[in-house]
Amino acid sequence: MNDPRDHAASHGPDRRDFLQSAGLTAAALSLSGSLLRAEGTTRLELSNTGPDRIPHKPFGKTRETVSVIGIGGYSLGSAPSLEEAVAIVHEAVDAGVTFFDNAWEYHDGKSEEWMGQALKGRRDKVFLMTKVCTHGRDKKVAMKMLEESLTRLQTDHLDLWQVHECVYDNDPERHFAKGGVIEALDEAKKAGKVRYVGFTGHKDPAIHLKMLSHDYPFDSVQMPLNPFDATYRSFQTDVLPEVNKRGMAALGMKSLGGNGQPITKGVVTVEEALRYAMSLPVATTISGIDSLAVLRQNLAIARGFKPMTAEEMEALNRRCTRDAGDGHLELYKSTMKYDGDLGRGQHGLPSHKDLPL
Amino acid sequence: MADQDHSVGTIPQRPLGRADAKVSALGMGGHHLGDLTTVDDAIRLVHEAVDAGITFFDNCWEYWNGRAEDWLGRGLKGRRDKVFLMTKVCTHGRSAKLAMKMLEESLTRLQTDHLDLWQVHGVCFDNDPELAYAEGGVLEALDQAKKQGKTRFVGFTGHKDPAIHLDMIRRGYPFDSVQMPLNCLDATFRSFEKRILPEVNKRGIAALGMKPMGGTATAVKSGLVKAEEMLRYAMSLPVAVTIAGMDSFDVLRQNLGVARDFRPMTAEEMQALRDRCAGEAGDGRHEPYKLSLQFDNPQARWAHGFPLDIMQKEVKEMLFLEAGGP
Repeated sequence: MNDPRDHAASHGPDRRDFLQSAGLTAAALSLSGSLLRAEGTTRLELSNTGPDRIPHKPFGKTRETVSVIGIGGYSLGSAPSLEEAVAIVHEAVDAGVTFFDNAWEYHDGKSEEWMGQALKGRRDKVFLMTKVCTHGRDKKVAMKMLEESLTRLQTDHLDLWQVHECVYDNDPERHFAKGGVIEALDEAKKAGKVRYVGFTGHKDPAIHLKMLSHDYPFDSVQMPLNPFDATYRSFQTDVLPEVNKRGMAALGMKSLGGNGQPITKGVVTVEEALRYAMSLPVATTISGIDSLAVLRQNLAIARGFKPMTAEEMEALNRRCTRDAGDGHLELYKSTMKYDGDLGRGQHGLPSHKDLPL
Repeated sequence: MADQDHSVGTIPQRPLGRADAKVSALGMGGHHLGDLTTVDDAIRLVHEAVDAGITFFDNCWEYWNGRAEDWLGRGLKGRRDKVFLMTKVCTHGRSAKLAMKMLEESLTRLQTDHLDLWQVHGVCFDNDPELAYAEGGVLEALDQAKKQGKTRFVGFTGHKDPAIHLDMIRRGYPFDSVQMPLNCLDATFRSFEKRILPEVNKRGIAALGMKPMGGTATAVKSGLVKAEEMLRYAMSLPVAVTIAGMDSFDVLRQNLGVARDFRPMTAEEMQALRDRCAGEAGDGRHEPYKLSLQFDNPQARWAHGFPLDIMQKEVKEMLFLEAGGP
C-alpha cells in the first residue's frame, strides 16, 4: 500500500519563512494521499442536471437520489422568525432541494417544529432526516424521542434517522451496548417509522471508525467535510473512503468550517468551500442556512453545479494547509464549543455556560 | 502506613532520567503559587516547601502574566542553590528569537543567572511539533540557552494528546525531560501513562508527571477517589517527579504527608484504583484539559488564532495583570 507521505516531495513547500510554512509539510503530505484516495473512490454520478437545476446524487447503494445540497435543521431554527424559516423551506423545495436535516435536540424542538410546519403539503417532495439524542441512554428513550420528532415534523415516517453527535470516546461502546440506541434503529425500521438509519459526529475520525467497526448496516454516515478537514484529523482521508467502500451514503456537513471563520478570515470564498465539499464522493452536503439571503447565495452555487477537477481541489487544499494544521478553523474538532449541553450532561461534563470552549 | 508520622521524614530524591541530577519526588507547581492571596504568603509557602525537602520547582513565563515567576523568585532568594528550578518558554510556534527574550525575562523575574530546566510550554496543537522543529523555531533556542549556560537541561510539556507528544519525541530532539498529565484517570482515557511514559523511560528521558488530581479534581469532589489516593498513584509511576499545584498551606502539608517517607502503591493497588475510575474516566469528564480549549493558555491560543474568551480567568491574567503586584 502506498503511504500518502511518499508523495510529499512533489509539493515542495516553500520554507522561506517557517512561521508561514510550518504546517505545510505534514499537510501537503496527507494532501496528495487523501485526494488520490478520494479520486480512487468513485466520483458519484450526478442526475437531474441542467443549468437551472439542483443536481442529485445517489444515496449510498440504494436506488434513490438526493439533492447535492441539503438544508441544515439547526440553522433553520436560528432564522429570525417562523415566517422566514417557512419561506426558506418553501423556496428551497421549489428550487429542487430534497434533503432536509434536523435533530431532536436542536433549539429544544423548535427546529423540528418549524420544519414540520414548513413542509406541510410538501412532505412527499423531500427526503427527511432527523437525529436521535440518547447520548448513551437506552432505546426506550430513543423510541420516545422518535415519536416526539414525528409529531413535531408532522409526518408518520422519516426517510432517515441518525444517532446524533457521536463525539465522546466511549459513545460507540454505549450505543452498541445491550438495550442501547442501535436496537432502537432496528425497531424503528421494522415498525416502518424510518426507512434508513445512520449516525453523525463532528469530532474525531477514530470515533467514527469505532462506530463502523461494529459492522452494523448503517445506511448513512454524516461527517464534517471541507477543504480544511483534508489536512487536520481528516474525515476525508480516514472515514470517507471506508464509508464509500461499504456502500453507505456519506453526508457532508460544516462545509464552511462550522462558523464561517475561514471565509471571514479570507482563506477561501463561500463558493470555493461549498463547491469543494459537494465535489467529494458524498450524497449531499448539509448546509446551515438561517436566512433567505444565505439560501439564495448557496442555491446559486448548487444550481447547474459541476464538480471541481482533482487539480482544482488539490490547489484549494494546498492553499488551506497553512491555516488548517492546528484546527483553529475547525473548532468542532479542536474544542468543546460544538458539543451540545444534552450530550455533555449525559457524559458528566460542564455545560457551555461553565465550559464554553 | 496508618501509624506513620507524616510531620517528619524525608521526601525521596529521584534521578532526572539519565541526566546527572536528582529531584524531589514531589514538586511544587508554579501556576497555583499565583493563587496565594499575597506575595508574603507565597514566599512563606516556598520557604516551608524548601525546608520540608521539596527541591523541584515548576514555573512558566506566561503564568499570571509573569507574577508566578516573580513570586517564586522572591521566595527562593537565598535558597536558589537548594532547589532544582524549572520554567517554561511560551513561543507556541513562534521564533527562537522570541524564546530567548522570554528566557531573559524569566531569569530576571526568578532572580537567577541560570535555570536547571527550561521546557517548551503547552505543546497542545497538532502542528506544534512541526513548528517547534522548523528552522528558526524554539528548539534552536533550547540549544542556544544550553550552550550559553543559561539552562542545564531542556524538555517540553503538554496536557492534550499523547499523539502530539509522540510526534514531538519521535522527531528526535535530545530532550532531557518530558512533562505530561499522569493520574489514575488518564490510565483509561487518551492515556499518557500507556503511550508516552514507557517511550520516555525507554529513551532515558526524565518523565515529569503533572495534574495528579486531574487538574480540576472533579473526581475527588465527586467522591470517586480521595486526593491522597490520587497523589500516591501518580507518585508510584516511573517518573522523576510529580508536580502538584499547591495553593494553600493546607494543601502543601497534605501533600507533604503523602511524600514524606513515600511508599509506592503495589501494582495490585494501582490496578484496583484504575478499575474503580474506568467507568467514569472513559469519556474524559474528569480530564477536561484533554477535551476543552479552556485549559490551553491564552498565549497558545493567541499564537494559533484560536478564540480568546475575555471573561475567562486566565485570559484576564494574561491581558491585565501587572507582574509583581499586589
